[in-house]
Amino acid sequence: MIIWREFLDDLQKNIPSNVECELKMMHSKSALTRFANSQIHQNVDEESADIYLTIHKDGKTISRTKNITAVKNSKEFMKEALESLEESPKDTTWAGLTSKTDTYEGFQETQEVNPDERANLVKDFVKEGRDMNAAGYCSTYLNNFFVWNTNGLNSSDTSSSAFIDGIFRTDTSAGSSHRGAVDIKDLDASQTGKEAAKLAVDSQNPVDIDPGKYEVILGHEAVSTILVFLSVYGLNAKSKIDGMSPILLNENQFDEKINLIDTPEDDKSIGFKIDASGAKKYNLDVIKNGVPKTYFHTRRTSKELNMENTQHEAFGVDEYFGGIGTNLNLSQGDTSQEDMISSIKNGIYINEFWYCRVLDPITQVVTGLNRNGSFLIEDGKITKPIGRLRFTQSFITSLGQGNVISVGDTARYADSEFGEGMLKVPKLHLREFNFTGGVSG
Amino acid sequence: MFDLLKIAIDSATSSGAKYSDARILISKSRSIAAKNGEVENFNESEKIGLGIRALVGSSWGFYSTYDLSTESLILSGKKAFDIAKASAVVSGNETPFADVPVVKDEYTTPHDENPFKVSTTEQIDLLVNSTEQMKKLGSSRSSGRLDFWDTEKWFCSSQGHEIFQNIIESGGGISSLSVGDGETQIRSYPQSFGEYRTGGWEVIKSFEFENHTQRLAEESQRLLVAPQCPEGSMDLILEGSQLALQIHESVGHAIELDRILGWEAAYAGTSHLELGNLNKHKYGSELMNIVADATLPGALATFKYDDEGTPAQRVDIVKEGIWTGVLSGRDSAAIAGVKPGGMVRADGFSRLPMVRMTNVGLLPGESSLEEIIESTENGIYMETNRSWSIDDLRLNFQFGCEAGWVVKNGKIIDMVKNPTYTGITPEFWGNMDMLANEDEWVFWGTPNCGKGQPSQIGHTGHPASPARFKNTRIGVRG
Repeated sequence: MIIWREFLDDLQKNIPSNVECELKMMHSKSALTRFANSQIHQNVDEESADIYLTIHKDGKTISRTKNITAVKNSKEFMKEALESLEESPKDTTWAGLTSKTDTYEGFQETQEVNPDERANLVKDFVKEGRDMNAAGYCSTYLNNFFVWNTNGLNSSDTSSSAFIDGIFRTDTSAGSSHRGAVDIKDLDASQTGKEAAKLAVDSQNPVDIDPGKYEVILGHEAVSTILVFLSVYGLNAKSKIDGMSPILLNENQFDEKINLIDTPEDDKSIGFKIDASGAKKYNLDVIKNGVPKTYFHTRRTSKELNMENTQHEAFGVDEYFGGIGTNLNLSQGDTSQEDMISSIKNGIYINEFWYCRVLDPITQVVTGLNRNGSFLIEDGKITKPIGRLRFTQSFITSLGQGNVISVGDTARYADSEFGEGMLKVPKLHLREFNFTGGVSG
Repeated sequence: MFDLLKIAIDSATSSGAKYSDARILISKSRSIAAKNGEVENFNESEKIGLGIRALVGSSWGFYSTYDLSTESLILSGKKAFDIAKASAVVSGNETPFADVPVVKDEYTTPHDENPFKVSTTEQIDLLVNSTEQMKKLGSSRSSGRLDFWDTEKWFCSSQGHEIFQNIIESGGGISSLSVGDGETQIRSYPQSFGEYRTGGWEVIKSFEFENHTQRLAEESQRLLVAPQCPEGSMDLILEGSQLALQIHESVGHAIELDRILGWEAAYAGTSHLELGNLNKHKYGSELMNIVADATLPGALATFKYDDEGTPAQRVDIVKEGIWTGVLSGRDSAAIAGVKPGGMVRADGFSRLPMVRMTNVGLLPGESSLEEIIESTENGIYMETNRSWSIDDLRLNFQFGCEAGWVVKNGKIIDMVKNPTYTGITPEFWGNMDMLANEDEWVFWGTPNCGKGQPSQIGHTGHPASPARFKNTRIGVRG
């Protein structure tokens, strides 16, 4: 990409010889077509080019972020950074630059999606709801990432992704669904709309049930939220360093049916094949047969814990946030939703969680609510839609030994509390989940 | 800058947009984080760019770019129009747009010391010393952060607005985390995630971190051995910053007109409020008087014009317990038949402006916190938010706080850990029977309000003083 090449060439001339330097650029084209009340009401498109400079000298480190327009010239940019470096304290956790041998060249010229393609997918989704009120979005992303450092690393990659997400509402109910893919052509908006519409229709006129402990089937979005909490707060090595992680490596902490793998090397995986340090990522067992095998590391956490760097430095968050897994797959099982339902005497189906917050990081007790499709299951059948419930439940315990009865036979990209495109998951059938409040509080 | 904006706007309107406006922003930020006496993160950022929107039929088209060349500006206006036009595939009724006075004006946040001109060494030292002190006092992990934003914003519209604003915001906080046997406890100051206001370095100096390190370190350790918060229905006394978040979640979001109109239904949710019940719905007790006021000097959401060129203003939201107002923009106000409230802002140049809380606060009452405690027979006093969760209608909520104190017969007798409370919005506010006075009224700020797609982070203010709520369900645990 020309703007990167030109900027890099110019900056390289201004780096003092005794400075370790890392330069990155994220060039993005992102667009989102948003609909509400069954019409497109907001339609946005953005092009950005952000430069990230980190320099390290005499035990001190400084980072600067500017977009390409804010960089008056590379000489001035470097001068400002060097001046700030003088005022900085010692950086005792500096873990160095990524090695030249980790270079990965994945940049490709890729055509961006036009707004008509997104609008047509919205149309396909909305029509599945007939007269129901539809809301949601179709989004597309094209990101190019470049990393160069004074070790000689010169990595690049291109990532594209597309999502359709929406709900249908009636006067008394709502149903939602979601799809994500590397290529917009792989999104089936009609099928997504069908699923959301069925949930909305089926969950009309819900009844209130008493809170308590219930056997549950969790839909894709609900499962994704549990795992994203474990990923960000538990498997993140920074949480381990801070004494906040509940994850115990190499112990039988989860049910043996839980197998979580990170698959950045898979061509169908959304996201870059390099991490924010420019190093190539690789497929990894994260939880194997219920046993956690690794934390997500950055250069710094890897050094501090003296563990292997798993290349999980994340884009767009402060470096000190730690490592985040972004290509996670919960291995699917062989149980259909029908078989899950028929095996339940008294339980609940929940499509999606809402507004989940951690009450206690070490036990991962989280509170949140259900929405967009919840049902009571009695004697092997869905008997009625149910209203709002509040849960207060340890996410660790929810996947603990003996609590996972079965794993669904179909995995897909699912949305989560912390965003989309990070997790591909099946549905789960859990023995017990703790609901602590109903509609009346 | 105004000339550049006009190039883009002319391009949008000549393409066929019935209205267009645009902003150029120069956004600078500085972020410093320290842990256990060492700097953990120090980053400065600067971004410059344009965001233009065009109204075509029933939809907004929005385009943003970092490229401010004439060629790019012309293309940006055309793109905003083309994007809006593409919405015709799934269109609805034409979106109305309320008129506001066309002004040419400028405004700068009043401040004593621009935080970007203060030595970074002084700022770093403040955090390093505070966190080092707490670590020495036994904190397992002491942390602190400072954030500063300096935003220069030029706004033009196809109706003739020319507004320049320079908004300066400063904030931060410190916390002490103690790790015990299978649990963690934390105490934060001035509030969890820090306290943020408009203004300069003087905002940070007013916090006097050095006077709070010992208390935070001691309380976080004391909580590890404190008894669990009791369970049951009893009186709840909320400290101001927790009440500020309660206002944010159960009032501020519920009164956003875009939610009420269903525009946020898929993501942020809707509201339990229906426009037909405006000026009738009983939101809370007669002590409840909420205003949205973007003119409060020093509060976090204070400015002179919003991102649609509407003047900042004070709007009554709840008067003596009755719901009377909403947070609106020019399009949503026109649909709802109310006056535009000047409450539309965007998170940077690259985001579409949307309805945002200004300083949505609870007007003070007449009691003191001391009087509230003295008049409480059986209750819990809770301080500083630790977790928050509320449903998508903004009705059913559960909050957790960092620390609680048992109040018996008018006296604080015991510290308790893991305090939580839960409730339903109108019942909860209906049970507010005592409210602290102006002496304890603080302009609390929330710098991390997420809303919209693509996601936007908003800065909102919530003036509040402590208050008491009768018969609240307390002590929910998993």
